[in-house]
Amino acid sequence: MSGSRTNTGGDAGSADTADASAADAAELTDGPRVVAVRDRLDRVEDPELARSIVELDYVDAIETDGGRVLVQFTLPTAWCSPAFAWMMAVDARDEVESLAWVDTARIELCDHMHDEEITTGVNARDTFGETFPDADGGVAEVRAAIADKARVSRQREAIATLLDAGVDPAQIVALDRGDVSLDGEAAHVELDGFSVVVDRDPIEAYLRRAAESGHVTDASDTLFLTPEGDQIASDRLDRVQKRSRLADVNMSGQGAVCDALHRARHGSDDESG
Amino acid sequence: MYEMDGEEIFVIDGHVHLWDARTENITHEGGEQFIQCFYDYHTGFTPEEKQWDMEEYRHYGADRMATDLFGNAAADMAIFQPTYLTEFYDEGFNTTEQNAELAEEYPERFVLNGSFDPRDGEEGLRYLEHLKEEYDIPGVKLYTAAWRGDSKGWRLDSDDAFEFLEKCADLGIENINAHKGPTIRPLNRDAFDVKDIDDAASSFPELNFIVNHVGLPRLDDFCWIAAQEPNVYGGLAVASAMSTNRKRKFGEIMGELLYWLGEDRILFGSDYALWNPDWLVDQVMNAELTDEQRDEYGVELDVDTMKKVMGENAAQLYDIDIEEKKRQFRDDAVTERFDLADHYGGDAGAAAD
Repeated sequence: MSGSRTNTGGDAGSADTADASAADAAELTDGPRVVAVRDRLDRVEDPELARSIVELDYVDAIETDGGRVLVQFTLPTAWCSPAFAWMMAVDARDEVESLAWVDTARIELCDHMHDEEITTGVNARDTFGETFPDADGGVAEVRAAIADKARVSRQREAIATLLDAGVDPAQIVALDRGDVSLDGEAAHVELDGFSVVVDRDPIEAYLRRAAESGHVTDASDTLFLTPEGDQIASDRLDRVQKRSRLADVNMSGQGAVCDALHRARHGSDDESG
Repeated sequence: MYEMDGEEIFVIDGHVHLWDARTENITHEGGEQFIQCFYDYHTGFTPEEKQWDMEEYRHYGADRMATDLFGNAAADMAIFQPTYLTEFYDEGFNTTEQNAELAEEYPERFVLNGSFDPRDGEEGLRYLEHLKEEYDIPGVKLYTAAWRGDSKGWRLDSDDAFEFLEKCADLGIENINAHKGPTIRPLNRDAFDVKDIDDAASSFPELNFIVNHVGLPRLDDFCWIAAQEPNVYGGLAVASAMSTNRKRKFGEIMGELLYWLGEDRILFGSDYALWNPDWLVDQVMNAELTDEQRDEYGVELDVDTMKKVMGENAAQLYDIDIEEKKRQFRDDAVTERFDLADHYGGDAGAAAD
């Protein structure tokens, strides 16, 4: 395949700072199409970590040739869950193919115990079940379970933002989705007869994860929930906050493990914290 | 022993292996991928100057292992956690019998656990009896994600597993160590899921369930179960190695464990030879929480906490009398071999290094 090519490299320093500089450098050398593909791939997340595969430095190469695009990616270990690998490959394919000029995207998973099966299956547009007949349960269930973990882990900061703004626990647990609206840099929260204005970001991040989990979609849905998806008793709010903190520590802790393995595999031992 | 704030800390490394991943022992490509994955964990969380090369990592032998554990008195005792993986390795990766080579050379220094696989049925029950008789095993290490023919794993809350847990209770094999952690196959239904611990632990209150790797990447599920089941413990293997270059994450994980389980149910483990206690013990002992973490969790990694985590909790589970051991170690074979008499001589026990 000819055309522009990029290698995002495996030797980034800090995951946070290096990505920005790597992206800046890439802007200078890559054609606009590669940049456009990378922007779409940035929306694909490692489901276990709820972070972008571009940010995590999984993408090895992007090649374009007319309306055809090739994306190669590698995960931190050959043993990463095949279901998660499958989700990332399918999501990458669909994101890239959403670009108007792309006819077909070919996704290749490298150095994985099931790289051939996943690469073949995803590009042939087979289902996960067709590719792995011995798997019980479907990818959809895994996606739902993962989305729910992201909901729980983001809830803490949203609630903390409201507590900081002086909203009391009894009011917080009584909120519905319809009581919250986003407007510019702010989020408006309707309490009995008056409105509290808080920072948009933590609320928006939570609403997105809560909607993806399927728990909080309609205006009448209770806004904040226990990890099991139940209504929170106001005297249990602190306990729920602790569980939300735990979910967040789990996800970021696993992120640190995956990051260290990724660096070990790709010959870089910089620390990212 | 380690000295912290003028107090002796007796170290029991709760998770070690004497493994064989030489290519001639590998019978399935999974065996090679497995040791390569372990090696990534090794280099990913080992200071550069302490890293091994792949050949010594595949097979280090009993002699080297004794030196690594006891040569500078980093550990006082260690607990073998066998990992059979006989579908991948001809003689097994580290079976009870393989680990026994060293455990029987220095019996006063080691605890030797066995293992079972409920898919072995009646033959497996006989094997468990044999392990009890032959080695007097006080516990088992279980690998719920091990492959066996078409099966890619099993669950601790299955009827078959319960039959084996009952046999453990009958035989007085009290410590059930389950590998629950880093994602490996099988596919989407995850055999390292920790939820099967819940039912097993509440059904067998007379047994102790030690969840290795504290369930990562399911720390949240693990802590929530452990908060409700008093006979569930957390083994720190993998998590302890995060103190190498992910200090903040290590602090957060310790904070969560201390918050949900308390200081009596956390057990240190190096997972040797994934990581080596000869540097890891010192590193963990020196780990500190940030001010922010102290405020958030309201806990400290102080002497009393570390004493429990590094040795006393394991001693409790395995009926080890630490004071008696200290006396015994003044002149046992390991002390003779590594010239540790002064270390155990009662002069406030300065660390040998």
